[in-house]
Amino acid sequence: MATPALAAFKLFLFTNPLAIVVALSIVIGLLMIVLFGYTSNQKAIKIAKDQLKAHLLAVRLFQDQLHVVVGSYGRILRGTGRYLKLAFMPLLYVIIPITVLIVQLDRYLGSTGVQVDAPFLLTAQVSNSDVLNDVSLDLPPEVTMAAPAVHVPAEREVVWRLAASKEGAYEIQVIAAGQRVTKTVHVSSELARVSPVRLRGHFWERMLSSAESAIPENSPIESVAVDYPERNIEIFGYKMNWIWLFFIFSMVAGFIFKELLGIQV
Amino acid sequence: MKKWVCGSDTLVRLRAAATKLATANHARPIRVFLVLAIVLFPCFAHAYAGPGAGFAVLSSFWAIFVAFLYSFYALMTWPFRQLFRMIRNRNAYGKAKFKRAVILGFDGMDPELADRFMNEGKLPNLAKLRGKGTFTKLRTTFPAISPVAWSTFMTGVNPGKHNIYDFLARDTSNYLPFLSSAEIKGPKRRIKIGKYSIPFGKTEIRAMRKGTPFWHWLGKAGIFSSVIRVPVTFPPEKFSGVLLSGMCVPDLKGSQGTFCLCTTRSSNDKFREGGVRVPVERRNGVCHSYIPGPDSPLTEKAGSEMRVNFEIRPDAPAKQARIIVGSEKFTLKVGEYSDWTTVEFKAGLGFTAHGICRFYLKEVSPEIEIYVSPVNIDPGHPDLPISHPVTYSIYLAKLYGPYATLGLAEDTWALNEHVLDDDAFLAQCYSNHEDRERMLFDALEKTKQGLCTCVFDTTDRVQHMFWRYLDEDHPAARDVPHDKRPNVIPELYQRMDRLIGRVMEQIDDDTLLLVISDHGFKSFARCMNLNAWLHQNGYLTLKDTKTESGDWFEDVDWSRTRAYTMGLNGLYLNIKGREKQGIVDPADAGALKIEIQQKLNGLKDPASGTVGITGVFITGNVYRGPYTENAPDLLVGYGAGYRASWDSVLGKVTSQVFEDNLKAWSGDHCIDPRLVPGVLFSSHKFIEDKPHIADVAPTILNLFGLPLPSHFDGKAWNLAG
Repeated sequence: MATPALAAFKLFLFTNPLAIVVALSIVIGLLMIVLFGYTSNQKAIKIAKDQLKAHLLAVRLFQDQLHVVVGSYGRILRGTGRYLKLAFMPLLYVIIPITVLIVQLDRYLGSTGVQVDAPFLLTAQVSNSDVLNDVSLDLPPEVTMAAPAVHVPAEREVVWRLAASKEGAYEIQVIAAGQRVTKTVHVSSELARVSPVRLRGHFWERMLSSAESAIPENSPIESVAVDYPERNIEIFGYKMNWIWLFFIFSMVAGFIFKELLGIQV
Repeated sequence: MKKWVCGSDTLVRLRAAATKLATANHARPIRVFLVLAIVLFPCFAHAYAGPGAGFAVLSSFWAIFVAFLYSFYALMTWPFRQLFRMIRNRNAYGKAKFKRAVILGFDGMDPELADRFMNEGKLPNLAKLRGKGTFTKLRTTFPAISPVAWSTFMTGVNPGKHNIYDFLARDTSNYLPFLSSAEIKGPKRRIKIGKYSIPFGKTEIRAMRKGTPFWHWLGKAGIFSSVIRVPVTFPPEKFSGVLLSGMCVPDLKGSQGTFCLCTTRSSNDKFREGGVRVPVERRNGVCHSYIPGPDSPLTEKAGSEMRVNFEIRPDAPAKQARIIVGSEKFTLKVGEYSDWTTVEFKAGLGFTAHGICRFYLKEVSPEIEIYVSPVNIDPGHPDLPISHPVTYSIYLAKLYGPYATLGLAEDTWALNEHVLDDDAFLAQCYSNHEDRERMLFDALEKTKQGLCTCVFDTTDRVQHMFWRYLDEDHPAARDVPHDKRPNVIPELYQRMDRLIGRVMEQIDDDTLLLVISDHGFKSFARCMNLNAWLHQNGYLTLKDTKTESGDWFEDVDWSRTRAYTMGLNGLYLNIKGREKQGIVDPADAGALKIEIQQKLNGLKDPASGTVGITGVFITGNVYRGPYTENAPDLLVGYGAGYRASWDSVLGKVTSQVFEDNLKAWSGDHCIDPRLVPGVLFSSHKFIEDKPHIADVAPTILNLFGLPLPSHFDGKAWNLAG
């Protein structure tokens, strides 16, 4: 009995976006709190926080003394600055891994695949509007064009409305000036690593928003993008983006772990 | 879709700019730029760098938001509140001669020493006050004991009206002592569940001091007060101002200070009072000990003490030890104090007592000894109210860190018992003193109008413990050559003088500065056991043929005892109908009092022929007021150099009446009050011949233009000119 139940749990854990977000939030909450604890000046943070609280209390305790109220408010602003400065250093240690992690997670959790028979847009941007009329598509048999291409010279873009008849990962070839650029399109209702855009150059943008290799530098095509539908995770009847859930759950986990580990944040 | 991946429009533009820069082969600036862009212009996904950052941002936002709301509310309502006050009080400061009064209480500052040191040029600031304003002796209460005198200071009445006659009062039903200033009772209702007895309701704290402190009258007139550590202000009472309670605040165990000596040395000796010895056990190179705490609230059984365990990792070659208590870890060198350390005594079911204490490493080799200060009530998380409002103690703790809250925060018992040496005791005193100074200057800054008063205990404690070095021939310092005696007391007075100098820099001519003490000081070289004298003179009888008793009248035959003493100056008759086993007919009490008074008055020390008792006072003649019946029947005024013996204070009968005082506690003031007046310095000249400590309250009210309550015993002083 235990084995099927475990298998079912594993399946749930690895395929249910909510379960993934919760599990990741807990793990990341713990890791980040520990990292924050090690990389921050805990004593100074405690003093800065305590002094902020003291000045807040001063406003309440001496509310009839105008000079105290005004002075305390100024001290609160200065204290907040000092506190943020103290939080900034550990933030630098944390910001790079967490940004990479969020970007990677976003590939899985940020969008759903294209649904079967549902139209979707594919946009190709070229470097020179003169070649717009030469841009064409080479589609696999499962993908069909649902409407003629729309040219937007001002944006140097061509937009196609497409639809897929079957689930799968398909390679669509965009042809311009005789050169072919492949863009993968995921047609699936399950969790999949999707890449909304393929880019030429733009190293940092590729790092942050693409999951495919760069378009060759000599290609007239600058980018090819697919508008995957945004994934919303349902919880207690509300649908929201995974990043909100991650924010809430990791904060809750962080709060619990900071109390348990006695770390000042 | 692109929008939430790429973020805000700002970021899109920044990224476009970054791309242009990248094509221009500026890789390094791009990275810097991007980091700045992410930090300064964050989109949601990139700005959220984990819960640490989340907490930081949320906390900052919350602090500013709440501060803004508070400030906005305070600023918007201020004119209305002022208007309301003006209507109600018809301008509180309308008739005031000063906009502010600052009273510094230097507990035990002696006028003769102050005069001597001023004449020697050691106290320039006090000398300045003497020249510009007033310097005179300030008559004190009968008896000259801090809780009595400070109660009179704040209420303006004699002890018969405020009900404080000593630190201790006696229970007439069993002849045992209880704290005279406050009574603390646990919740009345309990529910038993299994092994637990769960208390329901609040701890009841009853103030025994009667009378109304003068800052209450000021508050009613719309005048704000900051009152810091004035003795006998526990439990704190509501009034218009802030107050931090002083002397008589208990420690977490409910005592007036119980230190703990954690040691690997085995000893069956118990400390006479004020401390306990706790074993340190060595296991695999690590030592384990514990801090004794209060009894568990979840059981009604006695002796269910809660404990906080701690670990000691000694490093003998480096003469230091690592101490791990709860989540706190620190290293101490031999002869070093820790900071205040938070300790939590957990009883289960979520009941936790919050305290703070300090560790002092005495020795790491061959034995391990650590002194742990009495566990003070945590001011940042007070389990009992120690301030008004409750948030005031929290405010101070947040602003300056934890501080001593125990009434008698300087551990005189530990020095008396040789657990602390002179230097360690002084370090403790001055550490507390510095905290108090910070509180005073904060109060001065916050109270630009109204009353600001702060009492410093350092003067009292240091003089108690170091008078032996000031005396030519004190028995407790006979083995210390004169040229090796430290100048502790002169340095203490100089320190206080420097404090006054800094206060004078903060005040203008529209502020009245008073520096007062509740009593002076004299040597305490000889002890007198009054119970022994009563025994030898047939007023007190022991059971069978015993010649000595235990503490608290153990072995006293009450059926044949007419008088007894406990505490510092009080002498009680064993009156029929009042004391449980009383034998003295109330009709004969008057004659008995006179008889004892006549015999004791002028009593000489047979060793030197010096008068040991210079005055015995019948309290009915000294006190007036509704609580006179709670007073001792007689007050014994010892001569200079004498005081009640340590045993006599604890209700013990010894075979000797007089003996040398060999303890570090070598100076005292619990003698004939006429011999130990306090000091009065003021920034403005007063015309008053013989000011009394009871006059301070009416004087302050008068200077703020308020009418004096008719029950006051003191009278207002007149300003010169």
